[in-house]
Amino acid sequence: MTHFDAVVIGAGNGGLTAATTLQRNGCNTLLLERHNIPGGCATSFVRGEFEFEVALHQLSGIGPEDRPFIMRKLFSDLGVLDKVELVQEHELYRLIVPGRQDITLPASWTGIQKRLSETFPDEADNIRQFFDLGSKVAMEYYMGLPVVRKTNNPELLDSQCPNFKAWGLRPTDEVLAEFIHTPALINAIAPYWSYAGVPTKELVFAEFIGILFAYCTFKPWHFKGGSQSVSSAFIESFEEAGGTVRFNCGASRILTQGSRVTGVRLENGEEVSCDYVVSNASPLVTYYDLLDTPTPESVRQDFRSRRKGVSAVCVYLGLDCLPEEIGITTASTFVMSSDNADIDEARLHTLSPPEWGMVTCYNFIDEDLAPAGKSVVTLVALQYGDAWASVPPEAYADTKYRFGGQLIDLIEKAYPGIRAHIEKAEVATPLSMMRYLNTPDGAIYGFRQNIQDGPLFRDPLKGIDGLFSAGSWTAQGGFQPTYMAGHATAKTILRKLKAQQKEAAHV
Amino acid sequence: MSDTHRTAFRNIVGYVEAEALKRQLEAEGSDLSEEKGRVPATINRLHPKRLKLRVNQILEDTPTTKTFRMVAEDQELPPFQAGQYVNLFVNIDGVETARPYAISSSPAERNFYDLTVKRAAGGFVSHFLLDRVQVGDRLTSTGPMGTFHYNPLFHGQELVFLAGGSGIAPARSLALDIIDHARPIHLQIIYSNSYASDVIFQEQMRSLARRHDNIELTEIITRPDPGYSGLTGRLTPERLAELIDQPKNKRYFLCGPTPFNENAQACLEGLGVPRSQIMVEVNGPPKHPEAMAGWPEGISSDHQVTVTVRGQGSFNALAGEPLLNSLERNGFGAENACRSGECSLCRVKLISGEVFNPPASRIRKSDRKFGWIHACVAFPVSDIEIDIM
Repeated sequence: MTHFDAVVIGAGNGGLTAATTLQRNGCNTLLLERHNIPGGCATSFVRGEFEFEVALHQLSGIGPEDRPFIMRKLFSDLGVLDKVELVQEHELYRLIVPGRQDITLPASWTGIQKRLSETFPDEADNIRQFFDLGSKVAMEYYMGLPVVRKTNNPELLDSQCPNFKAWGLRPTDEVLAEFIHTPALINAIAPYWSYAGVPTKELVFAEFIGILFAYCTFKPWHFKGGSQSVSSAFIESFEEAGGTVRFNCGASRILTQGSRVTGVRLENGEEVSCDYVVSNASPLVTYYDLLDTPTPESVRQDFRSRRKGVSAVCVYLGLDCLPEEIGITTASTFVMSSDNADIDEARLHTLSPPEWGMVTCYNFIDEDLAPAGKSVVTLVALQYGDAWASVPPEAYADTKYRFGGQLIDLIEKAYPGIRAHIEKAEVATPLSMMRYLNTPDGAIYGFRQNIQDGPLFRDPLKGIDGLFSAGSWTAQGGFQPTYMAGHATAKTILRKLKAQQKEAAHV
Repeated sequence: MSDTHRTAFRNIVGYVEAEALKRQLEAEGSDLSEEKGRVPATINRLHPKRLKLRVNQILEDTPTTKTFRMVAEDQELPPFQAGQYVNLFVNIDGVETARPYAISSSPAERNFYDLTVKRAAGGFVSHFLLDRVQVGDRLTSTGPMGTFHYNPLFHGQELVFLAGGSGIAPARSLALDIIDHARPIHLQIIYSNSYASDVIFQEQMRSLARRHDNIELTEIITRPDPGYSGLTGRLTPERLAELIDQPKNKRYFLCGPTPFNENAQACLEGLGVPRSQIMVEVNGPPKHPEAMAGWPEGISSDHQVTVTVRGQGSFNALAGEPLLNSLERNGFGAENACRSGECSLCRVKLISGEVFNPPASRIRKSDRKFGWIHACVAFPVSDIEIDIM
């Protein structure tokens, strides 16, 4: 039987960073991917003359070249930075409430305060106070809290994280309401709740403001050629370091003996032995479908306190015109037909027409994805997978086009005429996400990211020695968190390997 | 982290309440074990990777065509959109290969798929299916796939289907879909065949057109017997202008042999129909890649090259033969479905050497950069080494 030090199941973002980190640090690794291409949702597809980015809307954590941040360093350390071309997005986003509100914010912490104060002069003081608090909470969350966690010293919480202590875990809309009074101003500040998938009523403030602060400080970034280019670059780097990758080859069983990982059975029946398994699959799939032994009680206890997270409907459009011809001026637009306060999460469990949508026009990032004079635009509406559970298979296609059409109707209110320019259109539903990501209900950010799902309340899943989970389900959702989760998981394994080697050397 | 580590967190506003909520959920919540097996079961209803099919009936329609009525062996057939295909896997005397066939039955028919197969000159798989497959035989296919189908988001309600030969298969499915689902769509089918004896589904299509105002059928024969009384001749812009009312305002589906598709497209463009309103069904790899723009000068289609599959072996192949075909003949499998460059399932990595990628090869920008090719339409114009990972 072939032996590997580690087997990584799934070449999504978490699997790619885990495998590449392991292999480049001397851990002989097998990377399995059930599809024919790496990336999970970090991929693209071609229709006619258009290439559609599937999932990346704005990459966080990169930082400008002269002020590199953690993700730029991670890509560099893992040998992929020189294989990809990063592109910065200069506007943060445009927010349109059709007929009522249209504002574009720059990707700058001081810049958005200035723009908002100009637009809402009566609230200038409130804006300043809110953003002052916001930067403090975000910094304390990222820099101070890890120290408190490590030392478990309540005095450090008071001295290092006073603002986080008072505000960090409160619901975002409560904090917003304490400072800001105009609903339209809240609309302009709030759209990034969608990157966590939980409306501001339930999203903890530190998570929300952390996202806004990070995009303003480290800027939103993209890759030329889309996120598939970085997924493929990871495979290059992994192979250069001697790693083995198998596409069209999922794992069918994680093999154990006495609660210890011993190997993996592949989809084709072949078995390999290994000391460690990193599963980039959902832990629900990992522990209920892949593990060859009953799910440990500690894991089931963790699952009992979780809820499945949100999925999305995406409409991928190839347009026969340039973005400016229909008034698109930024890569990212949020469109809402009601105020932020009225966003109803219950509606996301139904097939009712969407009241909230996101538009990303990739021409602003990589004009080669569309032929000359044309454009690629992706529309997204968050939605839970259960909305699709009762759709009979024979009604699926019609339902998908109906809902996709309703999303276009919403976006058309912001960008009139968009429908008449459609030259290609594909609709992906939560069931498409389920098909390609292998996640329960097609969840795109893992478990629902409500307060008790947060990192303060979670331990790594334990119970099977040598088995680790890495991905959106065990961290936060999104690109940066999943890349980092895979990297951190690999580091944990490398430390264990080192300790084992030390021990072996002493014997 | 154990609970003792968290005592410092207890002073954070909202922490104690959240932890209590978590404890409550741990006591009362579902452990989500109901999810066990649900993802594959749900996906399998719509997009099974493989379908086990059995030939339930063989309809002999013309001397050169059979329609295989396939039923599912162990699951409900997944739904499909009219125009989609399944890739049918066969083992012909030890060679594992496959061909995509459009489903010719109605999407409303949930009990079987009709696969209509016409004998291809010099064909391999079509001969096997027509000559050797019997009722009761079992075959494996992919689930339905493909993008050659009606899309209500932008296709409008005026459709024209130009079908050549077995290209009537998806047209029949589309007509039945419109009728069975009472879709408010007008479909005009212009159906061209070489010989009057070749016209597939003639009776049924004529009957559909007679009974339904929104289905229109025109048959054309290019090589008529003396005395044939219907329309004859190749499609020309003039002929199409006569047949199609306001051609610029319609959406076109083209499906037939490559020369038919190319001619039909040129005719439509000659009438001023925008290219974006014309959909052409992918139709296998180009038969004469050496005649296409970009083919390297001085290399003939029978130029011999060596193909090395990293870590697995090597074999001789011809520059003019699609890489996927020679791989299969030499016992190297690669996942595949459309066999026309579009679906990307046969994506393999080119380590060294050169291949010709025709325009039909819909390769991602990043795949071009890192050297990934679609084996089904890649032609090895030099010795190459590839990696099938």
